Amino acid sequence: MSTLNREEKSALKMVLPYVILTVLLFVFLLGSNLFNSFTDKNGNWTLQNYIDNFTDPVVGRTLLNTIVWVVGSVSGQLLLGLFVALLLNESTKGQIIFRSIILILPWAVLDIVAGVMWKWMYNDMYGVLNDVLVKMHIIRDYIPWLATENMAMLSVIIANIWKGFCLSGMFFLAGLQTIPIDLYEAAEIDGANSFKRFWTITVPQLKPVIMTTLMLTTIWTINYFPLIYTMTGGGPGYGTETIVTYIYKLGFKFMEFNRSASLSNVLFVIIFFIAFLFLRSIAKEEAR
Amino acid sequence: MTRSQKRKLKKTITYILLIIISVVVAFPFLWLVLTALKTYPDIYAYPIKYFIFEPTREHFEKISSMNFWSYFKNSVIVGAGTMFFSILIGLFPAYAFARYEFKWKRTLLTGVLIFQMFPQVVFLLPIFKALNTTGLINTYTGLILSYLPFTTPISIVFMRTFFLSIPKSLEEAARIDGCNFGQAFRKVILPITIPGIAAVGIYAFLFSWSELLYSMSILTSKAKQTIPTFLQLFVGQYQTRWGPLFAGSILATLPPLIIFMILQKFFIAGLVSGSVKE
Repeated sequence: MSTLNREEKSALKMVLPYVILTVLLFVFLLGSNLFNSFTDKNGNWTLQNYIDNFTDPVVGRTLLNTIVWVVGSVSGQLLLGLFVALLLNESTKGQIIFRSIILILPWAVLDIVAGVMWKWMYNDMYGVLNDVLVKMHIIRDYIPWLATENMAMLSVIIANIWKGFCLSGMFFLAGLQTIPIDLYEAAEIDGANSFKRFWTITVPQLKPVIMTTLMLTTIWTINYFPLIYTMTGGGPGYGTETIVTYIYKLGFKFMEFNRSASLSNVLFVIIFFIAFLFLRSIAKEEAR
Repeated sequence: MTRSQKRKLKKTITYILLIIISVVVAFPFLWLVLTALKTYPDIYAYPIKYFIFEPTREHFEKISSMNFWSYFKNSVIVGAGTMFFSILIGLFPAYAFARYEFKWKRTLLTGVLIFQMFPQVVFLLPIFKALNTTGLINTYTGLILSYLPFTTPISIVFMRTFFLSIPKSLEEAARIDGCNFGQAFRKVILPITIPGIAAVGIYAFLFSWSELLYSMSILTSKAKQTIPTFLQLFVGQYQTRWGPLFAGSILATLPPLIIFMILQKFFIAGLVSGSVKE
């Protein structure tokens, strides 16, 4: 420790108490989950909880659902977020008003409120969505949005895109505002049209922001629980059951704490792996 | 087409698209507000009544009579506590990460974010058990404590960016004028950082404001529960009572909505430089 200078010492004094406490808490919680996952209800050592994860067909289904949920939500949120950010970046007058409605409103709505709000819109008899779509001649018959497995999954993804695209939009908007304007002017003088300018300037300049947003949104979407919980509760059947909703169900509905803990640990490994892949490719990008 | 005509056309298309998107995005919430103002026969009217109906206050009166404002108060208490401690705990680590160069800085900063990586649901059980053993179950303190691991990482990253934006020379000038560290921090740095601290505080407040899972599991007695748990009461497996549910939803959404709109500048700045740079 004698090699530390004064600045480093005062910095560590401010940082270490927090970090040590956080890490200890994390280790405690993780350790507690590990202990639970390797014991049975009577406290005996067992591997059965993990074996059950492999033999339980629902687990496979939830993995598949989670992939669909994440790919659908994340791609929708990022594309819509980017589109909105580009539009907002072009606008001068009234940007605050548009920003308030498009980016702030869905964000400020409570998770559970967003869930019930969409559930009501999807109602197969009195839902406004069917009525509007029929009036606009987009569909001919009412769709039972939440009644079949595939439609239910599509429906929760649409709701999630509504709830979450604003965050990507904010990241992208701020990213766009850091791109120096003379890059565009130079390209315009060279005769590049706006489509070409988008691909040769905007996309490469925005790439670090896109990568970070992709990573955060992916992890947040895997972990996002309240929307599915309030809209479908994982159903119909196991149609919208993702890993997190199933962990909750196992632990707090079926009272299978040990199995819930073991599935939690499987999810840990998955998230660690995803974060590791992203961080490595981001680091590579930076080193270039 | 000339260049200025082209520009004008592009502007027009941009605004048309923005208006369309605004309408589509705002519609679900608008529909919620309209539904909350309808009587039950109008809610279940066929064909659907869009704008022509007799507005009613019955659902708002109904939730008032069901102690909504008591849940509201509980939410404010938990939110204020979460806000206060998230700022307090995050302040010094954030300052150090912004100002000093030191060994393992990157590693430690990554370590700070560890709780951001995992879903809250996987920690619920061990936290519940720990609170149960320490007698903190069904207390505001217990709930606030269990929120802090999830809010403080963001508060550190946010405040760090605000500290970064203050020129170091300002602080040095104060030190030369004879201020010690504490004085310089209180008199020079803190006042400039107030918007950032406010943004972090409100982030933490709203995190707890909308959190359902922990609040409904940890606060077991009715007298202590928060708004999301209250709203959950109206969601049944077979029947949902939309009227009071949406009336409560409106009252629950308004505070965050107004605060976010007023402070959006800080949020966008903080969010972005915090998680995008470095």
